[in-house]
Order: sequence, then C-alpha cells, then structure tokens
Amino acid sequence: MSDWTERDLMHWDEKIIRIAQDLGLDWYPIDYEIIDYQEMLSAMAYTGLPTHYRHWSYGKEYERTHTLYNMGQTGLPYEMIINSNPSMAYLMRENPLYVHLLTMAHCVGHSDFFKNNRMFINTNPNNILDSFKSASRYVRELIEDPSVGIDNVEKILDAAHSIKYQVPRNPGIKYKTHNDLVALEQEKMKEDPSYRPDLDKILLQPEFNVLKCIAEHSKHLKDYERNLLLIVEESSQYFIPQAFTKIMNEGWACTIHYKILNELNLPDNLYLPFIKLHNQVIRPHLGQVNPYHLGYKLFAKIIEDKGFEEAKVLREIHNDITFLRCYLDEEFLQEMNYFTYSFKKDKKAITIDDISDDEGWEKVRDELIKNVGLNRVPLIYVDEITKDNTLCLVHEHDGRDLDLPYARKVFEYIEGLWGDDVTLVSAVENEIWEF
Amino acid sequence: MSIFRKHKSVVDRTSQDRSRHKKKIEKAIKESIKDVIAEESIIGQNGKKKIRIPVRGLKEYRFIFGNNEKNGSVGSGGEHKVKRGQKIGKKRAQKGGAQGTGHASNEKGDEYYDVEVTLEELAEYLFTDLELPDLEKKQFRFLSQKSLKRKGYRFEGIRPRLSKKETLKRKIRRRKMAQNRGTYDPEQDERFPFHKDDLKYHHIKPKKKENSAAVIFFLMDVSGSMSQDRKFLARSFFFLLYQFLNHKYEKVEVVFISHSTSAHRVSEDDFFKVSTHGGTIISSCLNLEVEIIEKEFHPHTWNIYTFYCGDGENWTADNEKSLTLFKKIKDLSQLTGYCEINESYKGLTDDDGDDAFGISSWATFSAWKNEEMENLWAKLSPLCDNKFKKVMVGDTEHIWTAFNALFGGKISS
Repeated sequence: MSDWTERDLMHWDEKIIRIAQDLGLDWYPIDYEIIDYQEMLSAMAYTGLPTHYRHWSYGKEYERTHTLYNMGQTGLPYEMIINSNPSMAYLMRENPLYVHLLTMAHCVGHSDFFKNNRMFINTNPNNILDSFKSASRYVRELIEDPSVGIDNVEKILDAAHSIKYQVPRNPGIKYKTHNDLVALEQEKMKEDPSYRPDLDKILLQPEFNVLKCIAEHSKHLKDYERNLLLIVEESSQYFIPQAFTKIMNEGWACTIHYKILNELNLPDNLYLPFIKLHNQVIRPHLGQVNPYHLGYKLFAKIIEDKGFEEAKVLREIHNDITFLRCYLDEEFLQEMNYFTYSFKKDKKAITIDDISDDEGWEKVRDELIKNVGLNRVPLIYVDEITKDNTLCLVHEHDGRDLDLPYARKVFEYIEGLWGDDVTLVSAVENEIWEF
Repeated sequence: MSIFRKHKSVVDRTSQDRSRHKKKIEKAIKESIKDVIAEESIIGQNGKKKIRIPVRGLKEYRFIFGNNEKNGSVGSGGEHKVKRGQKIGKKRAQKGGAQGTGHASNEKGDEYYDVEVTLEELAEYLFTDLELPDLEKKQFRFLSQKSLKRKGYRFEGIRPRLSKKETLKRKIRRRKMAQNRGTYDPEQDERFPFHKDDLKYHHIKPKKKENSAAVIFFLMDVSGSMSQDRKFLARSFFFLLYQFLNHKYEKVEVVFISHSTSAHRVSEDDFFKVSTHGGTIISSCLNLEVEIIEKEFHPHTWNIYTFYCGDGENWTADNEKSLTLFKKIKDLSQLTGYCEINESYKGLTDDDGDDAFGISSWATFSAWKNEEMENLWAKLSPLCDNKFKKVMVGDTEHIWTAFNALFGGKISS
C-alpha cells in the first residue's frame, strides 16, 4: 500500500511551487503522469517521450534495462522529465511520498533549466511532443505501406542512427544558409575584385550536420528515405542540448530540490529518508564521474562564494564545457579526488595517469572536459562534395584514434545512404588513415 | 498548479519494438547455429539440455574512440587515496552490457552473446522451413494427441473463456433495442451497463488429430574404413535428422541399422556409439531393411523414409546387388537419402546440372583404398530424382547444406 494519495501530492506541490517562486525560478508548468514500474521502463526506452517512432533498438534498450532491473543491478530513475511546454514528468506509483517530493522539486529545477539555459533556445518546447507524434505516425505508415515495409525503414534508420551524433555542436546558434553564404561572398567580391571564390561548389564551407547534408545532397535517396533521415536529425537536434548540459542540469536540479525540501518544514518521518536519498543521489561513484555529484558540488561552491543570484546567471549562459573550464580549480578537484586513467596495452591493465595535485590537476581537468557530453563522440564532418559527387568526410583528430572496426561499419552505412563514392580521412597512430 | 494524472494507456508500447528485436536475435542465432550444430558437445544430448551458442550481438554502430592509451577517462577516488601508476583494473569498463537472456563477452573487440537454448528450441529455429516430403495418406491411420479446439459459443462457461466480442455484440444489440423502445436515450450521458445475459463464452471441443504413420530407417556404415572423423560426421548427420523428425512429427518409428559386411538392427544408443571394424557390403543392410519392411511396416500403411550414410566405398562384387536394392527401396519409400562422407569434398556448387554437388569432378578427389572396393556415388546417379537424393559431406559445415538439399529448405549462405 502506498503512503500517499493524489491529494497529498497536490498539497505538497502547492508548497513546492510557492518556495520555487520565492527563489525566483521560472519554469514551465509540469504535468505529472503517475505510472507503474513497467510503464517507467517503457518510457525510459524511448528517453521519456510519450510517443516516439518505432525502431528495434528501443526494444533492445527496454530488454537491457528490464534485465538489469530484474537482476537488481540497477534501480529505476526517480525522475524523468521532458523538455516541453508544459513539461511532462513521471512519478512511479510504487515510490513512497518522500521520493515523490524529491522528484517533484527536482523536476522544477530541470524545467527551470530547460526554460532558461541558452543551449535550449532552438528546442521548440511548445511543439516538440507533436512533432515526435507526427514522426511516429509517419514511420508507422511507412512500415504499413506495402511498397516500403519494415525492412526498408529499418535499413535507413539503422544507418541514420549510426551518425545521429554527427550534428553541429553549438546548439543555440543559427547557421547561415547557402544563400546567406553566397551573398556574403558576393559582397566580398565587390570589395575586392581579385577575390574569385568558386560559388558553384555544392558546399561553400564544411558541413557539420552530416545527416542533413546527406538528406539534402544525396542523388539516390527516395523521398521517404530523406524524410526518415530528417526525422532522426530533428530528434538529435532536440537531444543535443541535454547532452551538452548533463552535469549542469543535474547539478542545478539537485541544488533546487535540496533548497526546496529544506524549506518545506517536512516532518522527520519524511525529512530523514529524504536526506538519505539525497546523499545517495549525489554520492561519488568510485572510478567514475557522477554528474549529479559533480554538478551539485560545483553549484554549491559557487553559491557559497558568489551567492544564489550569481548561480542563476550561470545556469543561463553556460554549458558543461564552459562551466567546467571556468570553475574547476585545484582545490575543488582535490576535494572531488578525481584522477585520470587509461588502458595500457603493454601491461594489459588500467592504471592511473594523473591525480589532482598541484602538478596534475590541470591535466585531470582537461581530460574531464574531453569526456563531457559530445566530446566523447568523435567529430566527423563533411569537408566537401566534389564535382563527381564524392562525399569527403574528415575526422577532426584530437589525439584520440577512432575504433576502426566500428568506423568501418559506420562508413558502410554512410556509403549505403550516399549512393556514390565516400571518403573518410582520419589518423591512426600518427599516420594518415583513409577509408 | 501542476497537473497529476494517472497513466491511461493500456497497451504496452514497447511490444512491437521488442518483438522486432527478438526476431533479430533469433535471426542471429540461426546464423550462428550452423557453426555449432555439429559440435561434439551437442551431439547425443537430450532435448532438455541447454546449450550455449555464441551469437553476434545486435550492435548499433557509431563512431567511437578506440581503446588506446590516448583515450583516457576520469574517475573519482571517493574516500580512497589514489596515486599515479596505481593499477585499478584489467579491462576497460564495458560499454553496453548484457542483453536479453545472454551475457556479454568481449572477444577480439567483437561483441558476442552466449545465448542459452535447449535442443528443442534449437530444432525449432533450424527446422521451421523444412518439411518431410510427400507424406501420403495411407490406408490405416493412427490417432495422435487430442487437441482442444474452439467451437461455437455458449451462455454458460468459465471466466477465462469469456468471448468479449460476442458479449459486446449482444450488449450493442440490447442497447439498440432499448433505444428503439425509448427506454434508453443515448443523448443523455447515461451509462448502459453490461447485463448478465450479455455474457457469452467460447465453447471448446476436443479434436482428434489424424496422422499417417511414418517409419524412418537410419542405415550407417560402420566398416573399418569409417574413420573416427567420418563416423563423427555420419553421426552428426543422423543426429540432426533425428532431431528434425522428432520435432516435426509426433509419432515416427525409427529403425537403426548398422552394417559392415553384415547388418544388424541396433538400439539408438548403440547406433550412435558403436565402434567400427570389418569390410563393407552395403547390400547387407539394404536387404535387412527390405526384410523389416516386409515383416513390420507394410508400405500401404506406412510412410517409409530411408537414409543411408557411409563413406561411399563398397565391395565391387556387391555393387550390382546394392543398386537393385536401392531401386527397390526407392520404390517402397517416400524418400531415400544417400549421404557420402568424403573428406576430399570441398563443398563444390552445382556445375553439372541435376547434381547439386559437382559430381563430375568427383573422380579426382575420390580416395581409393583397395582395387576391390569401388565407389557407389556415380553409379547411383541414374536413380536420382525427387524420391532419391544423394548428398556429400566433407566437413561439418556441409552437414547443414546437405540437410537442406534433402528436405528442400532454402539454403541460406
């Protein structure tokens, strides 16, 4: 039997909202869905979205979390909230009241972050659920269409998913269109008559949105195939800001839930288990970086040094990379006890490379930033499309080599989509490597 | 004010993607099964025994960084004291993890899942596309298992057999009637509940399933020339055959005959375990089969299938007789399969028309041991049609191809 009713939730919700307003937060209204654990597992498989297009990989994801959950290797998330207006969030029926209170306050923090952080400017929260819904319907209709069918749809989606992270890494920025660029070049030509750029080129500058580039310029794709690529691209663009702000977003939400619940004047029977849960959420994970831990501690430090109002400014203007770059210092990294490690082939073991002392802390910071969000994903972009329609891809090598067997597979997917010749240049062990 | 609402959806929205994922896994299992069907470990096991087969995981490929020194990571030491050079593990933490019922294992950078399946499941995967050919309706039939079939509806019944459709139909009919009579007004937002009289239940009746009787003859050469390896291939072949028949038909009789210069009817156990010795006279076992058929399995009553497996060598003087007997057995049987074990066979494709296994080039790789021994393969060619098939197996990998050739399944490459 649960220890709460819907009336309890509404009662506490009112108080949470009042405190959040007093803190000066500005968030989307939140719709909570009360679901059971099975529905939670389903929601998780589709990254929380209430409607999502079909693909077997989500079935795989469900099986994976289901197995892990059943074996007790993983708990279910307390909170899941969607960047939409109104924000959709889930509460798990099986959870006790104090978990719901933490979750609800946490969700207010997330929703406030979604609404204010500049990375999310182009995510279109008012219509995003509808656009996922129509994408889902489109894919379903293709699957049911006898002239297309599930195999053809999967062929494209499998390939599109393989490059879904090859999208521009500056969310919140509007890019110049081809026409803008032509106009710009023409202006330059007027100023300097000797300047003669080739305006017939298909790409006037390198294109970082590989999916969109293929969808727009491939000469062999059918219309529905282009549309599928664009569906995947759109969903990627929607999720990229979240990948860019995982540490900040969680840190902010933890900061907010802690602040709110401390002002709720909870009775001991709710407050003590809450504190226990809170400490569990923000505990360091041995040998890993727990974004809840790092984000919470970093915001705590900033609030202590500069006050809550300053923290509110930071939550608007930063992403994880700039945030860590600006505010990580030796003292903080030492307190977090972070170290870098890597796999040594000769020793066949993982050993620690640097620790956060006065010699090593900068290396630790840099390594940490290299592993944040999309920095974990190799950057591959379209350098140009030649006259004979060869798609020239370049891996921007930052010291880390590609995993070649994987790259080979993805390369094959891209060839399948593009239909003409494709090249990919990278470096392996300091030698130029070309596919 | 936030909104709280209970989740209304009743459908499991992951079900389609999960079943698609499952199908893909099954396909992956099927693809790897051919590599394991002739594994020593599975031959001679009973149906319930679980076997592990490695299956290529269904990976979602992305551009990722390789597992090299330059690709470092950051971790927290928590309360522990850490120092440079300290060893903290052997393997990089695996990305992903276990999937389905399997466990992830990492070999050569490729992801393999060990999936546990029982022999029965294995048979299910393997044999769904194959059919035992030409099961004729014979004079006498035996009744096999009774099964329950739905037949009509009743007003009385148990809850699990409630027919929602019929019940709803009756309710709709009753509502229409009430509407016509004016006792119910749909405009008014009034509920029109089910009534006990609406309920209808499925009725079930036991159904007897008829089946023709089938008998399978397994004939194996156990002469001295059947080396350990050859015997293993023959056994694998029969084992697969046996699993197939067991899987497809509820009731089949199986007769095991092994022969060298003379033939013996043996038990299943002995058949698969017996040691080899002596010369080869194929006609001996064919003779025995004909005798057994005459005594026990009248062709009017029984569907007869015969499978012979040997190294193809036969006493020259016996060839004529063997051929006559093969012809006779072919006439008696629905299908006769002749399988030759020949290590020199490399799995040639059909380059000479009706023979699926490149027989024209056969002479070049035939292993002759003895001038008095002669190979039967070429001599059997005139017999071949859809009731008499011959296949050659040189290695474990040919078994599955041979099997498909016999039962007309699609050979997947």
